[in-house]
Amino acid sequence: MRKTAVLVAGALLLSGCVGGPPKAGGKVSGDKIVLGVLNDQSGIYADLSGKNSVEAVRMAVEDFKAKYGAKAVTRNIEVVTADHQNKSDVAGSKAQELYDRNGADVILDVPQSASALAVAKVAKDKKKLYFNITAATTELTGKQCNRYTFHYAYDTYMLANGTGTAVTRQGAKNWYVVYPDYAFGQDMQKSFTTAVEKAGGKVGVKDPTPFPNDNFSTFLLKAQNMDPRPDVLGTMQAGGDLVNLVKQYNEFGLRDKGIKLSVGLMFLTDIHSLGPDAFAGTTFTDAWYWNFDARNREFADRFLKRTDTRPTFAHAANYSAALQYLEAAQRAGTDASDDVVKTLEGHSFEDVFARGGKVRAEDHRVIHDAYLAEVKPKSAVTEAWDYERILRTIPAAEAFRPVNESGCTFS
Amino acid sequence: MILRLVARRPVLLVVGLLIGLALPWFVYPPIAMDIATWALLAVAVDLLLGYTGLLSFGHAAFWGSAAYATGLLGVHTGVPFPLAVLGGAVFAAALAVPIGYLSVKRTGIYFAMVTLAFAQMVYFVANQWRSVTEGENGLQGIPRPLFGADLSEPFHFYYAGLPIVLFGLFCAWRVVRSPFGRVLVAIRDNPARARALGYPVDRYKLVVFMISAALAGLAGGLSAVSHGSASLQGVHWTTSGQAVMMVVLGGIGTLWGGVLGAGLVVQLEDYLSTAQFNGPGIVTGSVFVLVVLLFRKGLWGTVAGWRRGRVE
Amino acid sequence: MTNFLQQCFNGLVSGSFYGLLALGLAVIFGMLGVVNFAHGAFYMLGAFGAYVLLTEAGINFWLALVLVPVALALLGTLVERFGVRWLTGLDPLYNFLLTFGITLVLQDLVKREYGVASQPYPRPDALKGTVDLGLFEYPTYQVFAFAVSVGLCLAVWLLLTRTRIGLIVRAATERPELTGALGVDVRRWVTPVFAFGVALAGLAGVLAAPMRAVNPLMGADMVIAVFAVVVIGGLGSIFGSVLAGYAVGLLQALGQLYVPELAQILTFVLMAVVLLWRPSGLFGREEARA
Repeated sequence: MRKTAVLVAGALLLSGCVGGPPKAGGKVSGDKIVLGVLNDQSGIYADLSGKNSVEAVRMAVEDFKAKYGAKAVTRNIEVVTADHQNKSDVAGSKAQELYDRNGADVILDVPQSASALAVAKVAKDKKKLYFNITAATTELTGKQCNRYTFHYAYDTYMLANGTGTAVTRQGAKNWYVVYPDYAFGQDMQKSFTTAVEKAGGKVGVKDPTPFPNDNFSTFLLKAQNMDPRPDVLGTMQAGGDLVNLVKQYNEFGLRDKGIKLSVGLMFLTDIHSLGPDAFAGTTFTDAWYWNFDARNREFADRFLKRTDTRPTFAHAANYSAALQYLEAAQRAGTDASDDVVKTLEGHSFEDVFARGGKVRAEDHRVIHDAYLAEVKPKSAVTEAWDYERILRTIPAAEAFRPVNESGCTFS
Repeated sequence: MILRLVARRPVLLVVGLLIGLALPWFVYPPIAMDIATWALLAVAVDLLLGYTGLLSFGHAAFWGSAAYATGLLGVHTGVPFPLAVLGGAVFAAALAVPIGYLSVKRTGIYFAMVTLAFAQMVYFVANQWRSVTEGENGLQGIPRPLFGADLSEPFHFYYAGLPIVLFGLFCAWRVVRSPFGRVLVAIRDNPARARALGYPVDRYKLVVFMISAALAGLAGGLSAVSHGSASLQGVHWTTSGQAVMMVVLGGIGTLWGGVLGAGLVVQLEDYLSTAQFNGPGIVTGSVFVLVVLLFRKGLWGTVAGWRRGRVE
Repeated sequence: MTNFLQQCFNGLVSGSFYGLLALGLAVIFGMLGVVNFAHGAFYMLGAFGAYVLLTEAGINFWLALVLVPVALALLGTLVERFGVRWLTGLDPLYNFLLTFGITLVLQDLVKREYGVASQPYPRPDALKGTVDLGLFEYPTYQVFAFAVSVGLCLAVWLLLTRTRIGLIVRAATERPELTGALGVDVRRWVTPVFAFGVALAGLAGVLAAPMRAVNPLMGADMVIAVFAVVVIGGLGSIFGSVLAGYAVGLLQALGQLYVPELAQILTFVLMAVVLLWRPSGLFGREEARA
């Protein structure tokens, strides 16, 4: 019996040795392009990006095929997807798997900073393209940048800079800033303070808050008891914490006491969570809004038909990133990473998401116009998801962190 | 026939080793490494739960903080990665001293709650203490140097990391088989009696808690090197929960059951991430509930019991 | 001074939720020796119950305050009958694990149905605005939540000290073996007590809906904090657990005010101190169940 065991084991080993390490699977040749969407399909980013971003990428593929017809670099374009569950280790392994086994030429989306940075590392090692969309960290185009990673849509600098500058210029000089005490909040607070001060205002007090937190009364009470009373409460909270804070801000009636609310990061889905009245009059920076003009609206209508919901900026940005990747491959005539990167660097473009779009060659930040938005009161909302009024377009050149501050070197 | 084979321990050991060696041929290599590291974590948890009767719901604190320690060692000193991993394990054991000292004051269900709460505290500290942990961005770019060997392929790295896991498993096995381990079981079964016999019960518990934390740290550090990053996920309570789940699925008090549980849970998680199924917790949670209600011996325990029945 | 008092009150409002959850947890533990990991999930279900009643059936907050706890009591009955009871007599750890599994399932079921984003839930009209508390003005709704919490805790206290059921539950909590030996049929009360504890968690959830974010994850972090609370108070003591709930709320509010960077870990530091000083909790007795 022992003999059998040894034989079986030997056979196992042998077959293994003959097989050798699994080779990188899938074709990376020009006759098939694979787009991988790696994001959160069950956690906190699922609604604002998630599966509907996969749908947006599919729309981009259809539009690309329709535009080029038989002239397309390939008509064989596949979209694959995986859920990283907001775990950076899963994100890393899945990214490897997408590149190696599914033959992905590019990975898109990847919310959550740690996951986003882990995938950037994989992209660098595998020399494959990666367009990040839903992560907020400036590290992607800063110290941890690399030749194959591009960052779309937004980051902490863009959010804080847009809102801080504009609201201060509108006359709110004295700020009270509360920020969740973790990397995102700390970055936001720093960029925000800089922007406010540059615009001639001052951040009188700034307080770190626990994260997560469901009672913000301490800080709201502090705000109303301050002397002089701040003009505006700048909150860097996101997601559930933001909803908690805003609910309690309204309970304490701070708006009636002359303290305005300004939000660091807000998605369309956040406004939907509380209803527009809770946020009415709140200003924030948006990367894109579906009802901004006819072109956006047309895209949003198509999106609505397929998904039963309106697109957030993350959905539109996924569409744009997929489209711009395919366009770059078309120009390069290949999906070979280095050639595609070369045609992307410094490329200026315009699509439904990116107005005045440009891929900065120095740090791979994809810049485009951003928007200062205000939440409409419910009485002004005419249809579902129509929550925002765009106050100002922030030109691409102003909206993002200047190249010389990025600290990115492609080594 | 296979059952008879299983009856012979050395054969079992050889089969286990062979499966361990052959794993990356059948499973995607990074996932194979995950199975191995989680297996060690599960065994560490079972060492406490199965052999001392202490359910730790806070092993994320050790797995995760060792990941940071290993990462920092790797990034800043560039020592060969097994040394960095060992450093992580030492750190985890050190962290286990205060946490264990306070936690072993309570037993049973309290122990579970207290360890969970302390682990949550470690999570908060890691999240806020950005200058060390990089906060939610995670500690990235952890290298895997080994005397100039090229380990960039996960397939090759698996074989470099496997000995560390095997070493950890061997340690756990030695503890269980030692006189020390027998005292632990005595404490589990009747703490009052063990105390009456003159054993310093709390000190025994603290020592095994530290050993378990060190093994969890070994696993966490290796996992960080394997993924090239250490993140908050590692110190989050869901990590502790996952480890406990593996132990229960595999069989509490079987030691090797945890290895089986790890294989299942990691594979299931991997499958669910591309299965387009909304709500993976529904599947994992239901399986878990069923196992607790109907198969409390777990996979290993059930099979072993069945086999014993046949032999007799 | 006024500011300080205001902040203290604010801590008590937070504490109201800890107190209610700790109460349910302690009552269940007392009767069954089970620590219910799913307590946070039931709290979350309570908030979602209120939301669903409002959006699907137009049922307002006041009715939800009654209907949702009843519904959760039913759910609790099912969990006890088909889960918890199954494991009676085994190591209580198995029930802890069982309720952990149930938590995962409930959380993801709600996630699947309603997504992860928070759902809107308005304050009832009667409780909008602020109310003058003499020294300072305070949001009416939060005062209401505090009052309900204190009222309920007092009512349960009366129930425990003035009625026969209360006597049995207290006796079972504090001297489980002795109670059984004295011929009291404790088993008859197991299901109702479990259901009652779950209903309390649901009620806390309904109370939370108008002032906190209603999302599937709202219970997960809550339950860990409540675990720390009951370790501080001593799970064997129902009153100790509730008092610790309010105390922890107070501690957190003052911590946020004076040492915001450390606010989050203060609860756990307090827990560590209590473990050093009085391992069985501030009000707890020596462990009855080793």
